[in-house]
Formats: sequence, structure tokens, C-alpha cells
Amino acid sequence: MATATGTVRTERVRGQFFLPAVITGFLALMLGLLGFEQFLNAMTLGAIYALIALGYTMVYGIIELINFAHGDVFMVATFVSIAVSTTLLGQTGAVLDIPTLIISLIVLFTVTIVVMALVGALIERLAYRPLRNAPKLAPLITAIGVSFILQNIIQFFVGPYITNVPQLFSTQWAFTIGESRVPLLNLFVIGSALFLMVVLQLFISRTKTGRAMRTTAMDRDASSLMGVDINRTIMITFLIGSGLAGAAGVIHGLYYGNTTFTLGFQSGLKAFTAAVLGGIGNTAGAALGGFLIAFVEVGAAAFGFGRWGGAIVFSLLVVFLIFRPTGLLGSSTGDRA
Amino acid sequence: MKVFNKKGFAALAAAALLAAACGGSTTEGKTLTIGISLPLSGSSLASAGPARDGALLAIKETTIEGYTLATKILDHAVDGVHNPAQAATDVTTLVGDETVVAVVGPFNSSSAKAQIPVSSEAGLAQCSPSNTNPDLTKGDAGAALRGGRPVNYVRVAATDDLQGPAVAVYAKSRGKSNVFIVDSTDTYGKGIADSFAAEFTAGGGTVLGREGAPAGTTDFTAIVTAAKALSPDAFFYGGVTADGAGLFRKAIEQAGLGDVEFYGGDGIQDGSGEGSYIAIAGAAAAKSFSSVAAIENIPDKAGFAAKYEAEYGEAPGAYSASGYACAQVILEAIKTAVAAGEVTRESVRAALTDTATVYSTVLGDVSFDENGDTSQKIISLYEVVDGNWTFVEQIDYANK
Repeated sequence: MATATGTVRTERVRGQFFLPAVITGFLALMLGLLGFEQFLNAMTLGAIYALIALGYTMVYGIIELINFAHGDVFMVATFVSIAVSTTLLGQTGAVLDIPTLIISLIVLFTVTIVVMALVGALIERLAYRPLRNAPKLAPLITAIGVSFILQNIIQFFVGPYITNVPQLFSTQWAFTIGESRVPLLNLFVIGSALFLMVVLQLFISRTKTGRAMRTTAMDRDASSLMGVDINRTIMITFLIGSGLAGAAGVIHGLYYGNTTFTLGFQSGLKAFTAAVLGGIGNTAGAALGGFLIAFVEVGAAAFGFGRWGGAIVFSLLVVFLIFRPTGLLGSSTGDRA
Repeated sequence: MKVFNKKGFAALAAAALLAAACGGSTTEGKTLTIGISLPLSGSSLASAGPARDGALLAIKETTIEGYTLATKILDHAVDGVHNPAQAATDVTTLVGDETVVAVVGPFNSSSAKAQIPVSSEAGLAQCSPSNTNPDLTKGDAGAALRGGRPVNYVRVAATDDLQGPAVAVYAKSRGKSNVFIVDSTDTYGKGIADSFAAEFTAGGGTVLGREGAPAGTTDFTAIVTAAKALSPDAFFYGGVTADGAGLFRKAIEQAGLGDVEFYGGDGIQDGSGEGSYIAIAGAAAAKSFSSVAAIENIPDKAGFAAKYEAEYGEAPGAYSASGYACAQVILEAIKTAVAAGEVTRESVRAALTDTATVYSTVLGDVSFDENGDTSQKIISLYEVVDGNWTFVEQIDYANK
């Protein structure tokens, strides 16, 4: 029947182009509303939120655990990045020699991501796996416990102060477009975050392990029957999620130049909100949620309502929970991983 | 249930013996405890630690015939930041300890707001080395805070209705006329920013914009970019270092505005040690100016510094002498109470808040008015030179 085919095709076309069109429209609107410099601020902040939110949403997608320790994994990553920069690379400030800078950044990202991935996997193995079949509340409370443990470890060994992080990538490199100052650091942050997100998306959608993650998210028992190693798949999810938090930690350090042991709470809360806004369990949604929150916060500050930034973000969360509890992209549950 | 087994009883007996040995109270008479309630960990330690050390030094130097002086130190910093709720809990703990006759503290105005209702109800005397918010004592707000009861709280610091304006006058004397203000949205931060703004505009200056960034804010880039569009020739920050002063200054420099001068109150004047404004802002701390609501050139500055260094091995902090002075006035009040007969919370409180008494303290001669505010109204101003706060001048408002 011609009409039926037509409807199917229209819906498919709509599905393919609707989201990119909305995103492009939103970005254009924000660019016009905020101006280029604030747009760049929001994109940079959003990149950090998005990277953290991905870890939240992946873990929720696969074992339905709200991993409250995830923000603190991000916090620990900022301290690991200090250790890598100062001890391993011997750098305390901006590296002005380009080849050295590139090598330093590669080492910094790689080592921190690997270390944090292992920390995340270790937490899963020690704290969450023994509770895999316990009531939902048990791992949730355990996650809060892990969060406190990580905070106290850092507080004990590093101290409760705000600590400086070496900013290897010079904050003073910038060029101007018209009236706007464009720091290269912001472009680097946004670029590296988007790169990681694309790699993650490809990994989930194109690889065998990615498929195992998606099937485990959909139905753990059925996947197990089909030969998917559930423990291994969940472990890999934690490795990747924590690795992304590691990358976010490196980026936070490079961009803001400081950290403290309580950093994980606020950032974790924002990232969690991002994950819920995007539709918890949905990776693309989490990334979108992260950018959305950043635009709300930066927009508030841009128009002189900075003191209301937090209130607006969390009001938005309440509105979403009431009217669209599945989030921005929550309906397409098949994508969750 | 068997409560005492042999081992448990032995331990209990040992503990009782130990307590008797430590207290030694039988020979030296009644124990009088001075509570010290300050935020003493994390980012707060850099500023409040020296106040505690000053107070302890004064208590150590003093003996009162027939009594044993003790101290009880409670830290109300939670996760490294002063916490008003914990401050209220701590003062309740002190009220519950019968030997406590007076309290040195708190350090931050928001904590004082939480503590004064509790301490005034118990009639427990309190002396703050550093609270500067005017509403804690003055007018209807002050009366409401102490619930209409007699004054039990005094402070040796001048108030923000002087401190904010002093910084404003100083900024204007340096040729600044367009300022962008950010405050930490709490009692102290908003209060000092308000009084700064009022004086700055009264003198013909313009406040280009005003923003709030609650404690815990890490991203100041959007605020700085919004400010940049207005091209201010100065920034003012109302708040303490732990709220984000250093992060704000760093973000300003990162946006290419490192040459724009940065002004703040005593909240950012916390030395140059770990967690201080200067340590966090790093090189960006240059061109920063701050105030302290206390006298810098105390009568015997060298003598006090030498004594302090001999005890602690480091130079006094911004509020060391104030902490010392608080302990001094409390000890004086206790002595008055002793001379008059019985030492009770009420007799100490009455002696401390007697407006006729002139205390001879390390800060100079001090008396307290009917609200508990000090007669010494001096604001000191500082500038960052080579990575350290350097004294510029002190302004006396007593006769203005």
C-alpha cells in the first residue's frame, strides 16, 4: 500500500534529520543570543559536563545503578592529572614548545584515563559486583559510601585545600574574530571532548563489545543465554565510563587550573542532572543534557542572573521529571548502553 | 546483661584515675573553660588558625588565682569550608558544657548569625575576633538576632559598614570609577559588597554590574566574559577565599584582564600559605587589594610578633592579635567576676558587656558600646607585592 510506505518513509526521514536540525537550530539561537565568547564558554563547560554525564548514563543503562561515586572519580582524576604533570612529566606550568606540548598532553590524557579506568573497574569489582543481585537500594548506598571514601582519601593525602593544577596548555594563546577573543584552550577542550564522544558512539554502535553492552542493557539474562559474558561487559562499561571521567578531570585541570576534594559533588550533581535531562541510559542524550545545562548556566550569568544559575538548572530538572521523565532522548531505549 | 566484666571495670577505674590526674582540679579549684569556636580545617584554616593561636597564647599567659583555666576548641569547618549549621551545633555543645563561661569566635558572620541566638539564650558570653557584618549587633536586626535579650556578644573587629566603604574610598583614590562586583551570596559576602557599592556610587563611581556566585562555584568564565563586555577598571569580590575568590581572580586573568585591579575585604586577606587567596590565584594575584577590619599597627607590634613567633614559629596572621585581644577581654571579664564574688556565665557576660569598662588589649584601649561593637574603628588596607600582602595604610573611623 502506497500510503503506508509513505508514512514509514516520512517517519524515518523525520527521525534522521529531526534531531540534528533541532540541535543546529538551538546552537544558532544560543550563538545569536549569547555572543561568540559566551557561546564558547558554554560549549567548554558543556564538554566537561557531558564527559562526566556519559559515565553516569552508561552505568545506569547497564546495571540501573545511579553511581553517586562517579563525580568523585572525576575529582580523583584531577589529582591524578596533577601527579602525572608534575611527577611524570616534570611540568608545572604552560609548555610553550609545541612538540613537547603535544607529547605531554598525549601522555597526560593516556595515563590519567588508564589509571581512572582501572580505579573505576576496581570500584565495580570491590563495591558493586558483590551486590549485583541485592535490592536496588544496597548498591546505591554503597555508591554514596564509595563517594565519601574517595573524598576522604584525597583529603587525607593531599589536604583539604584548593590545589593548583599545572595548565600545560597555555591559557594566553588566543586569536580574535571581530570583537571576540578565542582562546585556543577552549577549542582544544571542546575538540578533544567531541572526539572522545564520537569514538564512544562508534565503539558502542560498531564493535562486538559495544553490541554486548547494548544487549546487556536491554536484557541481561537473555544476553547471558546468548553467550555474552555479563561480568566482563559490565566491567568494560565501568572502565570506559571512568576513563571518560578521567579525561574530564584532565580537561577540568587544564581549563580551570585548580581542584579540590569536594569538586566531585557539585560536578557530579550537574552531570547526573545532565544524564537525567538527556534520558538516563542514553549516551547521546547525556551529552546533549550536559551541553544544555552549560548553556542554561552560562546564559544565566551572561544576563546577570548568575546567582540563579543553579536554581534554574535544578528547576529544569524538576520540570523534566514531571512532564518528560524519560528525558530528551529517553524514548529510544534501544540505544542505551 | 552483664554490664561490668572484670576487664571493663579495670579500664573504667583506670580512666577515672587518669581523669583525676589530668584535671588536678582538687588543688587548683574550679575549672573555667573558654570555648574556641572557629573553622579550623581546609581553606578556612589559613585565616582562622592564626586567630585561634592568638587566643590560646593569651590564655596560656594568664592565671587566675583559685581557678584552673581550660580551653575547648571546636572546628566548624565542614569539608574545609566554614559551616553555619555546624557552628550552631558547636555552640550548643559549648552551652551544654557547664564549665564553659565564655567563647572566642566565630570567625565568619554567617556562622555568628547561627550562633548568637543559641548563645544569647544561654547567656553565654562570646567575643568574635573577626565578624564584620553590621546586622549581627546593630539596630533592629541585632536585637532580633539576640531575641531582645541583653547583649552577650562583643567583637573587636570593625564592621562592614566601615570596611566596605574604606575599600571603596581606597579604590577611588587609585583612580577607579567603573567597578564590577561579585559576591558569594552569604551574610558576609553580600553585606560587604552592598556597603562597598553604596560608598562607591555615592562618591561618583559606577557599578557596572553585580553578580552572585555561591560557595562552591568553580566556573567563573561566564561572569568574567559578561563583565569584560562592560570594560570595568576594577573588580570587587565580596566573600572569602574558600567561596572562590582565587578562582575568580584566575578566571579574570585567563580572560586577558590580568591588568584590571581586584579589590576585596578581609575575606581574601589570608596570607600566602596553602589554600590562601594568593596561593590559589598564583601569578594572577598581582594587582589585588584587600582590607582587614582591625588595626595593623598595634601599640607593641614587634613585641607581639616576637612573642607569637617564639610560641608558634611563624609570623602572626591578619587576625592573630584580634584573637589574642578577644581572649584578653574575656579573661578580664572573668577576673572582674572573680573579684565581685562568684564566677557564673551571667557574671562573666555582665562584666564583658559593661559599656563603662575600658580594656587595655594588645590592639590598644578598647571598650564595647551598647550593641557590643568595639570603640576601635580602624580599617587597614593591603596590596599584593611580590606574592605577599603588604600593609599600605590604616584608616581610623572613630572620630569620623
